[in-house]
Amino acid sequence: MRESTIMRIHYGTALGAVALVAVHVLFRFTQDFSDSLQYESVIANYQFLPYAGLLEIILVLLSIHGFNGLRVVLLELRQGRAYEKAVSYGCLAAMFAVIAYGSRTIIMASAGTVS
Amino acid sequence: MPGSGAAGGEGGAGRRNMGGIKGMADPRGYGIERVAYWLMRLSGLGLLAYFVAHIYETSNILRGRAGWDEMLATTQTTEGHVLLAVVIGMCVFHTANGVRLMLGHGGLGVGRPARPDYPYAPLSQGARHKIGIYSSIVLAAAASMYGLAVMFGEVH
Repeated sequence: MRESTIMRIHYGTALGAVALVAVHVLFRFTQDFSDSLQYESVIANYQFLPYAGLLEIILVLLSIHGFNGLRVVLLELRQGRAYEKAVSYGCLAAMFAVIAYGSRTIIMASAGTVS
Repeated sequence: MPGSGAAGGEGGAGRRNMGGIKGMADPRGYGIERVAYWLMRLSGLGLLAYFVAHIYETSNILRGRAGWDEMLATTQTTEGHVLLAVVIGMCVFHTANGVRLMLGHGGLGVGRPARPDYPYAPLSQGARHKIGIYSSIVLAAAASMYGLAVMFGEVH
């Protein structure tokens, strides 16, 4: 993929994440901060499907933005064909791993399969 | 000696740009833009580390009430609140400075092209972007303080 396209995605995911993370943070303010972190409150958040969907979108946007940012920082430090491939594929793999792990939490908590 | 040459016109502040990564990392003598460059990268890496930790932290909900309460007991401490306040500051700086960079990349606030004259001050690094950097730092500090006030129960 062209770097200009990647940077467009980087900026797009940033703007999307800023708006959605603001909603995520504002959800903590619907009640007292420590009350909002209580078990029942958090489970209720996950089982409210629009909010669970919002969390999933934030997870995807921030993973793409964060790991592409890490890739850019690492490519600034050193260059070379093998190094650049290793960094790009490594960041891509880490991104998919974080999305998979986070999605597992969201799906299981939303479905009520909590021990 | 690399990096200490006196030839003018190469690198910021008339220094020869031969310092490698150490030279690139040195924020001295290049103005607030170099400081912003580093703050942007450090806050980005810090936020990525927090994001991954947050994904792991919230996965404790799957362990049931006992697992969640155990996790809360380790994070809802004074140290945890201070760490979260730092994360809030990094988040606000990264966002505000990121918007400044996007506007700059889009050509906003970088001034009109003009003939380079001595002392070759870059037109793209004008007052507007400097104000943007300082504003980002002030906003980040204010958000951190507000976050601390909320977490310690001073503000509801």
